[in-house]
Amino acid sequence: MCTRCSRLNRRSLLVGGGALAASMTTGIAQARVRPADMVPLIGPGFRPTDTDEKGLWQQMDRVEEEVSGSNLLIKDPELVAYLQNIIGTVGGPAARDMRIYLAHIPDFNAVMFPTGFAVVFSGLLLRMRNEAQLAGVIAHESGHFLRRHMIRSWRDTKRKSDLFAIGAMAAGVVGAGAGVYMGDYVQLAQLGTILSLFAYSRAMEAEADAMGARLIAESGYPPIEMANVWEQLIGEEEASARYRRKRRRRGTLFDTHPSPTSRMQDLRITASEVTVPGRAYDNGRSRYLSKIAPVRQMLLDDQVKLNDPGASQYLLNTLALDGWNGLLRYYEGEVWRLRNRAGDDTRAAQSYAVAVAYPDAPPEAWRWHGLSLIKEGRAPEGKAALGRYLQMEPGAPDAPFIRQMVG
Amino acid sequence: MRKLGLAFALVAGVAVSGCVQSRQYADVQFTPPQGDYRLLIMRPDVVVNSLTTGGMSEPRADWTEQARGNIIKSLGNEQSGRGGKVLVLARRNELPNVSAEEIADLERLHYAVGNSIALHKYSGASLPTKHGKGLEYTLGEDAVSLGRRTGYDYALFLYAQDNIASSGRTALQVLGVAGCIIGFCAPSGGSNQFAYASLVDLRTGEVVWFNVLQTGSQLPGVKFGDIRTQPGADQMVERLLGRMKAGKEVRKAAEKR
Repeated sequence: MCTRCSRLNRRSLLVGGGALAASMTTGIAQARVRPADMVPLIGPGFRPTDTDEKGLWQQMDRVEEEVSGSNLLIKDPELVAYLQNIIGTVGGPAARDMRIYLAHIPDFNAVMFPTGFAVVFSGLLLRMRNEAQLAGVIAHESGHFLRRHMIRSWRDTKRKSDLFAIGAMAAGVVGAGAGVYMGDYVQLAQLGTILSLFAYSRAMEAEADAMGARLIAESGYPPIEMANVWEQLIGEEEASARYRRKRRRRGTLFDTHPSPTSRMQDLRITASEVTVPGRAYDNGRSRYLSKIAPVRQMLLDDQVKLNDPGASQYLLNTLALDGWNGLLRYYEGEVWRLRNRAGDDTRAAQSYAVAVAYPDAPPEAWRWHGLSLIKEGRAPEGKAALGRYLQMEPGAPDAPFIRQMVG
Repeated sequence: MRKLGLAFALVAGVAVSGCVQSRQYADVQFTPPQGDYRLLIMRPDVVVNSLTTGGMSEPRADWTEQARGNIIKSLGNEQSGRGGKVLVLARRNELPNVSAEEIADLERLHYAVGNSIALHKYSGASLPTKHGKGLEYTLGEDAVSLGRRTGYDYALFLYAQDNIASSGRTALQVLGVAGCIIGFCAPSGGSNQFAYASLVDLRTGEVVWFNVLQTGSQLPGVKFGDIRTQPGADQMVERLLGRMKAGKEVRKAAEKR
């Protein structure tokens, strides 16, 4: 039930002649779910009453205990309160019941757990351009909870595995009685069962998308922003793949989620359905930027250190669509510097030089600007820049070293 | 006829494949605690699942609660039988001077170390550097500090899982074994248990003793205790902790004498 999960190992699932059968089945298109059909299945203060769901909740309470005490969490109270406030806005009837945790993981993802707590990865905050986009992802996760997806998919898996076990046993017994080997058919049925589980999972994701779009539209956010999130993600994946001279991953039968492209297309149509003409929608960009300002440098720092220059470059350019600033220019330089191909030092130097022209340039921009200038043979200017760095960050770990350089 | 003979051989094989297995490892210098010692039992991690027809484990809240209570009671009885003073933690914040976070950290550390023991001692990926050295793992300074502040000599970590075959699963097992008569043998697993216990010496921080217990049978209806009942829980605790053996060097020394 995450926005973007790791996929299961395909090879381990491909059994015998089943591969052939799989390639013959129709595509993986997932019919779009109409937002109008998406009514929440639970009300406020929901508690499980069925045995299987109670068991699931008991396990998940232990998981939440671990998650809430994890040292991976970013505990900045203001930021967490901000996220909690968003889930409280777009959480529909369960808005007051859901909890949200922010994990320091530089990846695009968010996960909803069956008991109504969500974990948002810090990489998501870096990628969102405004509050509406963030609210869209959170609303998608709320959709999983409101539509009771976890218990529904558990029951689906249970039902299908029961049927398969009975069917396989019956086939074996009948086959043995008649003297026919049924093993191949059983394997084919197994593959069919597995594929239908993945299809069910994709159907749930489509539901959550539709539910999410409806929730954010009702809260006054422009629903089209949910489609924009996927457009940005596709762009990022393409840029990352291009840089590595690979092709972006396309959807397969074994995906738990519909492909980003189909999600984006469906969300565009959905957005037009839930948008009320004449109503004013606010994407909350300035509020979003001011709220994440204290951690934005950390988010950028995490990203450029992932050694994925294609994606980092794309992200910076996307964020810069709302205007360049010193922080973004500095990290643009960092991407070049860390990539370190021929000519990258010059590119990095240019970025640092532009970065320091902005009032919000971080101290590190002055540091690298100074070092680049010295490297170019412009020592006096370089030393002046380093002086500025020391002035801004007198306690920096490398301050004594830089002081010695400045002389 | 040959087919039938094979079927019978398989049935015989199935019958013996159901069993109770436990394998323990100890620090070479380990002597099982006796007499006047103080043992802290960390919150026991217990889960009871219902095994569905298709073989999935479905956690059951009521069974788990019941089993947890039983296991805690059995642990108390078993240990006081050895003469030790025992405290079983039900929550993480029960100890004076020790925060819930510290207990949580120690539990997580033990989880990692325990996984490592399971991998290198039980799953076959043995490490040449640890060969013949008994159990050589430690939780380090954190465990020592816990012992110093609370006055406990040992900490015991315990995980217990009981999977109870649903009636559908049992029917499937019956069918699988019955099929042997016509030459289609498809025995499948039924009720089974998995548990491990790990004893940490809080004076040195070392994991001094580790035991893994597994029970299970492919014959329908065969159970090896049911931890939802007090006798079943007693039996599991006894199997897990009752036959604690001393370390290699301690045993050798005892033989010499």
